[in-house]
This record gives sequence, C-alpha cells and structure tokens, in this order.
Amino acid sequence: MALEIRDLHVAVDGKEILKGVSLNVERGSTHALMGPNGSGKSTLSYTLMGHPKYLITQGDALIDGVSLLEMTPDQRARAGLFLAMQYPVAISGVSLYSFLHAATSAVRGFGDRSARPARGRFNAHLMPMREFRKEVNGKLDLLEMDPVFLRRYLNEGFSGGEKKRAEILQMALLKPKFSVLDETDSGLDIDALRIVSKGINALQDELNMGLLVITHYQRILNYIHPDVVHIFVDGRVVKTGDAKLAEILEEQGYEWVRQELALGD
Amino acid sequence: MAERYNTTSMPSISTTTVEALSLPVGAEAAGAIADLHDEPDWMREARLDAWATYAAMEFPRKDEEAWRRTELSRYPLDDMRVVFSGTELNGIENLPPCWNYTLAPANLVSGVLVHCNGARTHATMRPEIADQGVVFADLHRALRTHGDLIRRYWMKGTTTRPDFNKFTALNAALWHGGTFIHVPAGVNIARPFQSLISYDADGGTGLHHTLVVAEAGSRVTLIQDRVSQDLRSAVNAEIVEIYAEAGARVRYISLQHWGHHRYSVSVQEAQVAQNANMVWVTGSMGGGMTKEFLRTNLNATQARSTMAGFSFPYDHQHVDQSTYQHHKAPNTYSDLLFRNVLRDRAQTVFYGMIRIETEAGGGTEGYQENNNLLLDDARARAIPGLEIIANDVRCGHGATVSRIDPEELFYLQARGLPRPDAESLIVQGFIRPIIERVPLAHMRDRLEEEIAERFWR
Repeated sequence: MALEIRDLHVAVDGKEILKGVSLNVERGSTHALMGPNGSGKSTLSYTLMGHPKYLITQGDALIDGVSLLEMTPDQRARAGLFLAMQYPVAISGVSLYSFLHAATSAVRGFGDRSARPARGRFNAHLMPMREFRKEVNGKLDLLEMDPVFLRRYLNEGFSGGEKKRAEILQMALLKPKFSVLDETDSGLDIDALRIVSKGINALQDELNMGLLVITHYQRILNYIHPDVVHIFVDGRVVKTGDAKLAEILEEQGYEWVRQELALGD
Repeated sequence: MAERYNTTSMPSISTTTVEALSLPVGAEAAGAIADLHDEPDWMREARLDAWATYAAMEFPRKDEEAWRRTELSRYPLDDMRVVFSGTELNGIENLPPCWNYTLAPANLVSGVLVHCNGARTHATMRPEIADQGVVFADLHRALRTHGDLIRRYWMKGTTTRPDFNKFTALNAALWHGGTFIHVPAGVNIARPFQSLISYDADGGTGLHHTLVVAEAGSRVTLIQDRVSQDLRSAVNAEIVEIYAEAGARVRYISLQHWGHHRYSVSVQEAQVAQNANMVWVTGSMGGGMTKEFLRTNLNATQARSTMAGFSFPYDHQHVDQSTYQHHKAPNTYSDLLFRNVLRDRAQTVFYGMIRIETEAGGGTEGYQENNNLLLDDARARAIPGLEIIANDVRCGHGATVSRIDPEELFYLQARGLPRPDAESLIVQGFIRPIIERVPLAHMRDRLEEEIAERFWR
C-alpha cells in the first residue's frame, strides 16, 4: 500500500525537468521533499496528478501497485490521489459548496451523470444533500472556517490563507489515500499554518494517509513531522534521511547540499 | 371597413371540433382569425392594414445591418401557414409530457396560460389575484373584455409596429394566440405568471403576440417559455410588447426552447415610464435559427432597465440578438449583460446599441457587456455600439470571446470530476450571473440541468 515513483523522467516543452525520481511513500507515513526554487518540485506534483503539460519520457508512478500514467486526472483523484495545489485556480460562478458537493460525489462513486435516468432530477446522482451538509460542517469546524465560505465562488477573491484552507477542506471531503502538499505553507501566517497543519494531521490519523509534503522551508515540518526527508535538487532526490536532515538543511542552506554533492562526486 | 368573411365558408371552430385546418398566410387567413374570435372592428381593420403593409414590403436584405450575419434565405418563407387547431381547452394533460417540465409547480405561480398551435389549451389564475382586477388571459378573449385598453397600447412601439419589418407586419396581420396581462395601478403580484407557447408537428407558423401592461406602481413577473416539435421547417414571427407605467416594476423572463426546425424572428420591446423598473432575462436554448430584436425605451426620468441574457446553441444552431437601450430622458439607467456558450459549429451574433438622446443628458448611465465562451468550432461575433448625443452621461461597453481555461479544467478534474462534468461546471459558472436572475429555484434548476445535459449528449 504505497505511492511509488520509479525512475520518473519528465520533460516540459522538450526540456527535461525531472531526471529520474524514485520515492516510495507508504500509507500512514509522511515524506518531506525539500528543494530550492526551480528544482522541479512542482513539476513532480503536477505530473503525479496528470497535468497535460508534462510529458513523461521514462519511469512510472503507481498507487497501490496500479500505474497512474494512463489515467486522466479525475481517474487519479478517484483512485485516491490528492494534490493540494500551490496556486489553486479560481472559478467564477461556481460556489465552493456546489463544487465540493459535485467533487465529493464523483470521488465517492455516487455515479456520474451519464448513468442518470433520462428525466431524473438535477443532481439526483449526487450525494444526499443533508448527509453532505452535515459532513461539510464538521470539516469546516476542524479548519476553523466560517460556513459563509461555502457560498463564495471557488477561490475567487480568497486570500492566500483562505485558498490553502479550502484546499485542505477538499482533502478532508475527498478522503484520499495519498496526498501531495505542494508548498501548502507558502502564504500562510503562523496562526493559519498551525490550523492547517492541525487539520492535515487529524486527517492523516483518520484516513491513514500517505503524505508527500513538498516545501521550500523547514517551517511546516515543525507542525507536520516527517518520517523521511528527501532533498531535491535539479530534478533528482540527492539525499534522503530522517527528520534531522531537515534541521541541518535549515541551518546550513541548500549551498551545503551542493557542496556535499560536489565533494561526494 | 374590411369585408366580413362568411363564417360558414370558413373553418367553423367550436370546442367540439377536432380536426385542424390550415390556411396559407394572407388576407383570407386574417379575416378568418378575426371571425373565429369575433374580434372588434378595429382589430379586423388593423389586421387587414397590416397585411397590406406586409404585401408591400420586401423581406429584409442581406446588406441591412441587422441581417448581415443571419442568412434569411434559410428561413422557409414560402410555406407559411396559419393552423386552426380544432381543439380548445383540452387540458394541460394533453400536452406532450416532455413539455410539462417547462412549467413550475402550480403553487409557486400566480397563473398559467398554455397555448398550442395558436389556441389556448389551459388557463388558470389564483382567485385572490383575479379579485384584485388583474387580467391574465389569452389575447383573443381579452379583446372582448378589454378591447379599448388593448387598442390604446396596440403596436405603437419603435420596433413593435406593423411596418418595422416584414415579420412584424406578418404578426400584426395574422397574430394567432396571444398572452395578455393587465395589472391595475398599485397592485403587487408577488408570484410569477407563467405562459407557455407551443407548437406540435401540425403547428404551422408561430404568430404569438404578447402584451403586458403594468399600470402605475404595480409589480408583476411573467415567465414565458417556447417549445415546438416540428417535423418540417417552420417560421416563427413573434411580438412581445411590455409597458411599465410610472413606478411599475416588471420582470420578463423570456425562454426559448424551439425545436431545431423552427426559424424565428422575435421582436420584443419594453416602454419604461418615469421611475419604473424593467428587468429582462432572456434565454435561448433552442431553434434552428433565431433572430431577436430586444429593445428597451427609457421614456422618462428615473426609468431603469436591466437586460440579461444567455444562450447555449450547439450543433448548427444560430442565435442572433440585436439589443437596443434607448435613453430618451435624463437620469435614466440601463445595463445589459449577455453571455453565450457555443458548442460544435454553433454561431451567435450580438449587436448591441446604446443610444442616449440630447434631452437624456444629465445623470444618465448606460452599460453593456457581451461575453462568449467557445467550445469546439463554434463562432461568436459581437458588435457593440454607442450613440451618445448628450452631455454628462456615463457609458461603458465591452465584449469578450474566450475558451475554457485548461488550468480551470485541470483543477476540477484533479478533484475527481470527469471532463464533461468539469466543463459543465465551468459553463454553469459562466452563465450563473444570468441564471441567478431567474425567479423560482425550480426554473433555475431546470435550466442548469439542461445545460449539464448538453455535456453528456
């Protein structure tokens, strides 16, 4: 039961960005992936989720032994993968509530529209409203979010912190087996970081989630404690260790890693 | 005085007659309709005058601005017929079941009026609303009881007049089936009236005429929908006239679900008096080709109008909307927001005009926005226009044509929504600002469902 990444090579516009990434994130475990800007961290997260811009030239990515590569992004989500995005997209006119209702229903297998009876009621295929509403309210409490949020259009006019909370709210409802958190700590003040991290930890306990925390800074790792830390430079994992590695990195900076590597060569 | 037609030589219509008869458009048909409904002389004359106008006019030419982008030669103009349905009052239950969805539950509306093939098939109104002197009736019957009132308002608009074009002349001569609302001064009708115009396979040419008169300080909403089951191509030449007298508030929700064989020209105009407020919502989902002239005249100070519209053509559907916001007095306000979504090889044309007359200077504001969202090989054209002859006014207009943002699509798919559901959600979000203005959750849900269905065809 793992998210496995095997020797993944990815190119964007003909340029190789990931140069052979291998990771094995077991369910229930937390891996941190730390690297400087431009090292390809976001490329890895988008590639795992199936963004069409990224071309896999070699390698594989599997969820519980099943390859993700032939799956569309929605199939990957339904297979249990979640990506908390660094820059969530705003969609005007679509309320957070109706979006969450549609997405939760899709992921939980409430059937799609194509299977709906010809003259069935609109949304008849979705999760029952009352049940869903109750569950959402519980998750809003967990993330200390005001229910008025639900009436706002998806990410439109949300502050940085609100967007990140909304991402974790989605995670809470979609109940993934594995989550990739792409710079979830960026744009969060210390209070928001604490609330978001508390939410993530609670969800990991609840769902026995495997977590891949992608971050530039060590800060979030004070709240979400990693079992394994990988240092990621220039499209590769260059060093793997335990939580102490993150602390050394925080003290010494990425320059230290580069020097270590140069010495190692 | 026009010659009276001998009713015995003409289709004799009674509630027991079942066979449908049809006549080609012409003076004979005009007289037959007048006879059938025992219309007052002024209407009979108006019909025959209009027929003379029709006969003297040419069909619009392609080099006229309003017809430059809509191919009138595709309209089946050679085979226009007036159909006399033998049956009347045969009940809402006799409508094809697929049409019933257009009607909201009876407890949510003030009254329902259904026409099929130009004949009234169903009419209800809450007694407490009738008690306030409100008339919600088919126009033929209303002519007998409120003939003088109707005559005062009859076809005196800028576009809703017999000689505006050949189609308004045709309607003036041969209108057949009509919706009439009269709300006395100060009467406030909270729940909407609902009108359904329908044509079945024997339907013939659509010649419906709608007249709404909201007296001073009154308040009324009309939801009007249109459906047809045409086996062969048919023309629709329709007129809607709305009068919002001083301080009145009128909402007109105009929906269109014509079958794909129906080729329509619909001329709709509202006259807005001092301190009155006119709210339009227009939605075009059906029709082979649809040409709409939608006009608001702001005739006195503090008159306000909001025009909102959406269309979602697919396949080879064509929707052409000419809108006109005409400011004739100072301190008048109008805004317009039309949004179109196009699939397959569909086409839309939006030609919007704001005109502010010299005497309308001083505090007047007019705005207009047209946004188009394209999928597949569809094509949208937007031609906004401003004619401002006054000083001290505020105006703005804009038009956009865009496609679905792949990042939005990815975001929704990454949350487990299959691509058609993701597209549907984005499109619903795009049209939301219009749908929000439709009264009754039932109607909004129906429209959203219809939009979603187009992604699972």
